Amino acid sequence: MRDSYLWGLAALLTAGVIYAVFFIVPEAMGLGPLVRIAFFHIPVAWVAVIAFFVAAFYGARYLRSPSPRADALSACSARLGLVFTVLATASGSIFSKLTWGAYWNWDPRQTTIFVLLLIYGAYLTLRSAIQDEARRARVSAIYSLFSVLTVPFLVFIIPRLYFSLHPTPVVNARGSVDMDAVMLYTLIAALIDATLIYITLLRRSVRAHREGF
Amino acid sequence: MKPSAWQGICLVFRKELTAGLRFRAAWAAMLMFALTTLACASMALQGGSLEPRMQAALLWIILFFASMAGADRVFADESTAGTLLTLRVYGASQAVLLGKLCYTFFLLLVLAAFTVPLFLVFLDVTVKEPLVLLGAVLLGTGGIAAAGTLIAALTTDASTHSGLFSVLMLPVILPVFLPAISLTASSFGADGAGSPYLGAMALYDAILAVGASVLFDSLWYED
Repeated sequence: MRDSYLWGLAALLTAGVIYAVFFIVPEAMGLGPLVRIAFFHIPVAWVAVIAFFVAAFYGARYLRSPSPRADALSACSARLGLVFTVLATASGSIFSKLTWGAYWNWDPRQTTIFVLLLIYGAYLTLRSAIQDEARRARVSAIYSLFSVLTVPFLVFIIPRLYFSLHPTPVVNARGSVDMDAVMLYTLIAALIDATLIYITLLRRSVRAHREGF
Repeated sequence: MKPSAWQGICLVFRKELTAGLRFRAAWAAMLMFALTTLACASMALQGGSLEPRMQAALLWIILFFASMAGADRVFADESTAGTLLTLRVYGASQAVLLGKLCYTFFLLLVLAAFTVPLFLVFLDVTVKEPLVLLGAVLLGTGGIAAAGTLIAALTTDASTHSGLFSVLMLPVILPVFLPAISLTASSFGADGAGSPYLGAMALYDAILAVGASVLFDSLWYED
């Protein structure tokens, strides 16, 4: 699909999501209008995690059969992932300040997103420290795969190490969705929208990367 | 005759140990870094006491950054001396990785054996559960050695070597670092961490070692 169609689709979806968030979605019990932050925060956090796995996936592809395209996809995904992680961290902190009274308290999910931020930062620092292109691609592919090893810890161990004030995930521990239908559909639309924006930006930045910008 | 995998690991370990003892720079830098930071912390506290959790965090911060002063040289020294290519030609990848990993683990155990008693004396800390402390130190240094060996190999040709090593290490080592702090705090008298943490650390150490072993081939046998 051409980029202009993707941008158009993303713009339409963004407009629809913004309208729904401000004019249709009801206020949540206990959170009031603050729930609106979640429709920005959850999608950017979702893309931050997707970008991490995409970077690792194309890192693995590069190691299997080295190609500049796989390296460009891995690097660009990591760059976008860093931006989305910063947005998720900032929006989460604002939500945290408004609901818990503090911007940061090392809640398990704050810890997880911070570790993700460190991994992206480390990955991009590593790339900038190696001059030879082939070596840089290989080394950063290995690091992106090695950092995936932290995932089980972040998902299973951290939540047991620290007490959490974070609202229950959309899909709760019983495997069911405990959310108002309008909120849920708006959230799904926001997730699709954020993913679409990520894909469009990734395609564009890979093209720019390969053209040497 | 080609040596077996085990003999290869032992040969690389012995080579690292001999070179380390001959030049001593990495050992001296690491131990002096630990002593300096420990003395700074003790002087700053002026005999004041800390909560067990703070004591444990301080101990592991000292151990982590002191280990960065020694463990990062394990491949860079070969590159500087011009012996990396020889090792690449004659050494099997897994023997090189595991030999260097064992050496780094040994190096970190020496660091811990030097730092922990001094820490207990300087900060007047009483250990209530020595076996828990021993387990935390063994598994914590094991994890740092497993991740550190691969990351030292990754940063060999990097332009900003030392700072980069710590930056790359921290996110990967956090799953060992945080439970190690909890367990050490527990050994100093805090409530909480127990044997499940030791099990989780041992599991993550194994995951790091296997991950490093699988990925090292891709680095060692470049196209």
